[in-house]
Amino acid sequence: MDQFKIFLLPVVGLVFGIIILMLLVFTLNSIPIFQHEGVAIYTTNIWKASEVSEEEFYGILSAIYGTIYTSTIAITISLPISIGLAVFVADLMPRRLKELLIIPTDIMAGLPTILYGIWGVFVLVPTLAEIMKFIHGHFSFIPLFSYYNPTGFSYLSAGVLLAIMVTPFATSLIREAYVAIPNIYREAVYSLGLTRFEATKVLLSYIKPAIIAGTLLAFGRAVGETVAVSLVIGNAFNIDASLFAPGYTISSLIANQFGNAFAYKLMPSALFSAGLALFTIGLIVNIAGLIVLKRWGYA
Amino acid sequence: MKKWIAVSGILFAVFLLGCVSEQNVAKEQIKIYGSGASFPAPQIENWIYEFSKVNKNVIVEYSSKGSGAGINDFKSKLVHFACTDPPAKESEWIEFKKLGEPLQFPFIVGAVVVVYNLPVDELKLDGETLAKIFMGEIEFWDDQAIKALNPNANLPHEKIIVIHRSDSSGTTEVFTTYLSLVSKDFKEKVGAGKLVEWPVDKIGRGFGGKGNEGVSAMFKQTSNSIAYVELAYALHENFKMISLKNAEGNFVKANAETISSAISASSAYVPDPKEGYKEDPKQFLNARGKNSYPIVSFSHVLLWQSYPKDEAQAIKSFWNWVLTEGQKHIIEGYAPLPKEIAELGLKAVESIRGE
Repeated sequence: MDQFKIFLLPVVGLVFGIIILMLLVFTLNSIPIFQHEGVAIYTTNIWKASEVSEEEFYGILSAIYGTIYTSTIAITISLPISIGLAVFVADLMPRRLKELLIIPTDIMAGLPTILYGIWGVFVLVPTLAEIMKFIHGHFSFIPLFSYYNPTGFSYLSAGVLLAIMVTPFATSLIREAYVAIPNIYREAVYSLGLTRFEATKVLLSYIKPAIIAGTLLAFGRAVGETVAVSLVIGNAFNIDASLFAPGYTISSLIANQFGNAFAYKLMPSALFSAGLALFTIGLIVNIAGLIVLKRWGYA
Repeated sequence: MKKWIAVSGILFAVFLLGCVSEQNVAKEQIKIYGSGASFPAPQIENWIYEFSKVNKNVIVEYSSKGSGAGINDFKSKLVHFACTDPPAKESEWIEFKKLGEPLQFPFIVGAVVVVYNLPVDELKLDGETLAKIFMGEIEFWDDQAIKALNPNANLPHEKIIVIHRSDSSGTTEVFTTYLSLVSKDFKEKVGAGKLVEWPVDKIGRGFGGKGNEGVSAMFKQTSNSIAYVELAYALHENFKMISLKNAEGNFVKANAETISSAISASSAYVPDPKEGYKEDPKQFLNARGKNSYPIVSFSHVLLWQSYPKDEAQAIKSFWNWVLTEGQKHIIEGYAPLPKEIAELGLKAVESIRGE
C-alpha cells in the first residue's frame, strides 16, 4: 500500500469506530427497557415515571409521530420556497445583487439554532397564536384546525420554525445544482421557443435528483433539530391530526427529560431507545435518498 | 534617555509579574464543585459570591441542572456536593451507602406559588379548587367555585389554560404533594411525583414548558392561564400570585414572613443527617398557623462523610459558613432555616473527615 493511504487509514477507522461504538452504546443501554416492556416503547403513548420501577412505563409513539409530522410540515413549506428562491437568484437577479442575497442565506444556514429558538418563542409563537385563533374561530370544522390552543406552542409553530431553519440550506443545495446545468442545455431549451416558465420547468426536471437529495437532507436536519423545537412545540404527549395541537419530537423529548432521567430506573434506557428510533429514522431517510439517486444514475 | 525609560518600565513589569505569581504560590486555591436542583440556585450563587469575599482560598462552583441530575453526579462522584429539593429516597440512599457514608440535611426554605394571567388584581383560591383547576374539572374562570371565593372580582368567561412543567422537577413534586394532601381526588387520579400525567392535557387545556424559563415564557404570552413556579422566580418576573387558603382558613400570599410562620408552626422533624432519607417531605405542607403559607419546602444538600484532606477542609468551611453567616444573606424568595435545624446541619458538617 502506498504511504498516503496508510497515513489516512486511522482517520477512516476512527470515524467508523465512533459510529459503531455509538450504535453499540445506544443498543446496549436500550436493553433494559426492551426487557421491561418489549416493543411497547415504540407502539404506545404513555409516559409514566415513578420511583417504583415496576410502575414505570414509557411509550414514545407520540414523539415519533411528532418528529415525522413537524418535519413534513417543514418540508412542505420550505420546498417551494427554496426552489423559487434558487431559480430567482440564479436566473433573474442582476449579477451584482446576487451576492447580496446569497451571503445572507448562507449565513442563515449556519446560524446556531438556539437563536432561531429564542426568536421562535418571542416572535413567531405569539404571532402564530393570533393567526391560529382566527383560523380556529372560523374553520374549526376542518380537522387540521380543530384543536383550540391559545398558547401558540404547537406542531405548526415547530414546523414553521423548522421550515425557516432548513430553507437556506435547501436553497443553497438546489441553487448550486441549478447553476451547474451546462449552458448548452439552457440555450437548447430557449431555442425551442419555450417561455421562461416552461424553460425553468424543463431545467428543474433536469436537476430533480438534486432537489430530492436536498429535500431529504433538509428532512434529516429537521428530524434532528433539538433546542429550537423543544422551545416551541409545547411538550405534550399528544397524537393529534390537528396542526394546532402541542406535541413532542424525539429530540425535544430527550432534551426535556434527560436532566432528571437518572432519578428513575428505566427512564434513561427509554431515552436511549428513543435515540435509537431517531437513528433509525435518519437511516431510513438517507437510504431512501440513496435509492432515489441511484435510480437516476447519480450514485 | 528613552532607552532608560523603556528598560526601567520592563523591569517594573517583571517585578509586578513576580508579585502576582508569588501570591499564587503562597495561597493555593481549592475548588469544590456542586450540582443539582435549580430551585435554590439563585440563593447558592449569592452565597458563593458572598463567601468568596471572606474566603479567597476556596472556590465554589454550582451548576443547576435538576435534582435528579445532581443526585446522579453525586453518585458518580463528579461533584463534592449535590442539592436536591425532595429528600433522597431510601432506594437512592442504599446506593449511596455502597459508595461511602452519605449525609443529608436541609439548608434553605422556599415556596412554590401559583401565578395567574388575568386582568384581576386579587385572586383567592383554596386547595380543593386549585386541584380541580389543575385536573381540568373547572373549565371557565367564572366557575361557581371560583366565584364563591372571589365574590367581588370581575372574572371573565374564558377557558382556563393550565401550564405546568414538562421536565421532571422538584417543584412539581412539592406542588403535586400539596395537591394530593388537600384533595383526595387529585391523589387518586394524578398522585404526587417529579413528573406526573396531567389529566388537563388530555382535555386540550394543559400545556407543558421546559424548566421555569419555559413555563414562564408560555405563561406570559397566554392570557387566562394559570401556572406554578418557585417564589423567587415569580418575584423576579413580577407575576401575579394567588392568595391561597391555609389550614386555618386564612388567605395568604407567599413571602418570607408567611414561609417562616409555616416552618415554625409545624414541629419540624428532621432526622439525623446520617439517616437523611427518613425525612417526611409532607411535613411543612398545609401547615397550621394563622399566617402560614401552605406550599413550603426545604431544599437539601447531599455530602459525603469523608473527602481527601484539603477538600474536606474547604467543604467544611463553605457549608459551615452557609449554615451560620449565610443564613443572614438570604435573597428575596427564600427564608432562613430555623435555628435547631441549622444546628443539626452544622453538627453533620463537623463530622466530615479528611483522609
